[in-house]
Amino acid sequence: MKTIGYFLLFFVLAMIVIFLVIVMGEAAPWYFAWIIGTGLLILTSAAAGFLFDTQEEKSKGTPQ
Amino acid sequence: MINDTVVELSRWQFAATALYHFLFVPLTLGLTVFLAALETVYVVTGKPIYKEMTQFWAKLLLINFALGVATGLTMEFEFGTNWSFYSGFVGDIFGAPLAVEGLMAFFMESTMIGLMIFGWDRLSRGQHLIVTYLVALGSNLSALWILVANGFMQDPQGAVFNPVTMRMELESFTALIFSHDAQAKFVHTSIAGYVTAAIFVAGVSAFYLLRKRHMELAKRSFRMATIFGVLSTIGVITLGDALGFVGAHAQPAKIAAMEAMWKTEEAPAPFNLMAWPNQEKQENSWAIQIPYLLTPLLTHTMDTKIPGIAEIEASNALRIKSGIQAVEALKILSSNPSDAAAMAQFKAHEQDLGYGFLVKRYAPEQDVSKATDADIALAAKDTIPDVFAIYWTFRIMVGFAFLMLAFFIFGVIYSLRNDVENHPLFLRFSLWLIPVPFLACEMGWLTAELGRQPWTVYNLLPTWMSASSHSVSYMVFSLIGFVSLYSIFIIIEMYLMVRAIKQGPDDHHAVQKQDKNTSSGGSVLGGNYAPVHAKTLVNEQSKEV
Repeated sequence: MKTIGYFLLFFVLAMIVIFLVIVMGEAAPWYFAWIIGTGLLILTSAAAGFLFDTQEEKSKGTPQ
Repeated sequence: MINDTVVELSRWQFAATALYHFLFVPLTLGLTVFLAALETVYVVTGKPIYKEMTQFWAKLLLINFALGVATGLTMEFEFGTNWSFYSGFVGDIFGAPLAVEGLMAFFMESTMIGLMIFGWDRLSRGQHLIVTYLVALGSNLSALWILVANGFMQDPQGAVFNPVTMRMELESFTALIFSHDAQAKFVHTSIAGYVTAAIFVAGVSAFYLLRKRHMELAKRSFRMATIFGVLSTIGVITLGDALGFVGAHAQPAKIAAMEAMWKTEEAPAPFNLMAWPNQEKQENSWAIQIPYLLTPLLTHTMDTKIPGIAEIEASNALRIKSGIQAVEALKILSSNPSDAAAMAQFKAHEQDLGYGFLVKRYAPEQDVSKATDADIALAAKDTIPDVFAIYWTFRIMVGFAFLMLAFFIFGVIYSLRNDVENHPLFLRFSLWLIPVPFLACEMGWLTAELGRQPWTVYNLLPTWMSASSHSVSYMVFSLIGFVSLYSIFIIIEMYLMVRAIKQGPDDHHAVQKQDKNTSSGGSVLGGNYAPVHAKTLVNEQSKEV
């Protein structure tokens, strides 16, 4: 059930992104770039936090 | 008669309030997005340190936000009080995005920021994360609408002049919000805010690392800020290039001033890396050039001609002559709107109407029909903005951008090696770098707004016509008042910020204890999700454990 839930969630997200690409790609390329870019920026920065914790745990020898 | 001193003082007043206001804005734009990244890690990992980090940086955001709002509110009123002709002339277009900004973005941002600050004990982690994302979205949407309005001033799209009502009217809202200038400027400004926040967070974290205080918070913040910053700086430089490309088509005089390009040169034109522009002689006293670079930089081609200032001035003199025809037709239409001949004359010269207004300033009794060739030459000279100021504000902004990029690259390397605390000089440099993004933003605005001169709405409405008819003493008094008040705001901001930073995050051991009881290591995705409910509920759960 949870997997189906995630599938539906990401499916809807994919649809929204495709819709944005079609609508905004032509008329508003920079707005679209901002939406995607800011999302990626947040995720990359968050990944930097995860990486830090992983490195810390590794150096201390604790399980991840 | 419009008093030139009043116009100049109105410009100074708006410039002062806008520049003061923009000392607060970029940090809000960037810190809200950075908080979203921090809280994402907290919600996914469930580690209390990330909650502590989010709360600490949110406290600094709140100080900045409050003072940013206080300085921003006056600006919207200033359009009406000091720029009443402008407000009447383009109010239909300019008012729409400002109203949307107030009603949609600002209300959303303000409501959500309250929930974000006070909702930690009242919302679940997932709900609070959504609120934080909405704060980031709201603050940036707020900037979007302001920059749509500014984009119209830089490159008026989606509006037409109605010769019957004698004012600009909105023709296409989509053309207004999707104008290339508005798009590129919004993304450039928003990401410049991200860079500002990244430098600020890295600088404050460096302060803690130097003092060996709050190391867990500082090292994590520094890592995330440098990654956030390096990508943002690449983005801001890319969008700066996009803005230049848009500007090369929409505002050739501004671009020529930014590059101190006095004469049209064969493509590919050389790039003035450093120059000393002399406006009076219309030449550079000296220049260090890189051959062939300017054309591909600006036009993304090797053979597109970039007009120099002399050519732009000469072509503007022709537009002024055409604009005189439009203004004369308008005079007839104002007394008889059904005059077909006057309407035909107006339609034929409509594109140059603004240039007709421009020469009114120099024409005897402000009657354009009496304008001489000398008056037209003066008005044509007026169409070239202050080259020296624009050239150098632009250069300083770009220089700062590359300095910050270099800083972030080293920051990422040191942080990934996990030995940033072993580089005290670099950490000190991080601290000294905090004012740089703020200055870069100010330089960017100076380039954009000085480069728009002599227009309030590019090619349509000259600045000299746009101001209200106040007295000089009124303008001097209000200018001194604003500068004094805003200086006090800056002092308050600095005091509160320094105090909050010295104080550091709240006692995180208490937070850690509390979170360990409820959600240590829990993850919203991992199924071990324990939302942070109200404190009373947490205490009850602790007893049960």
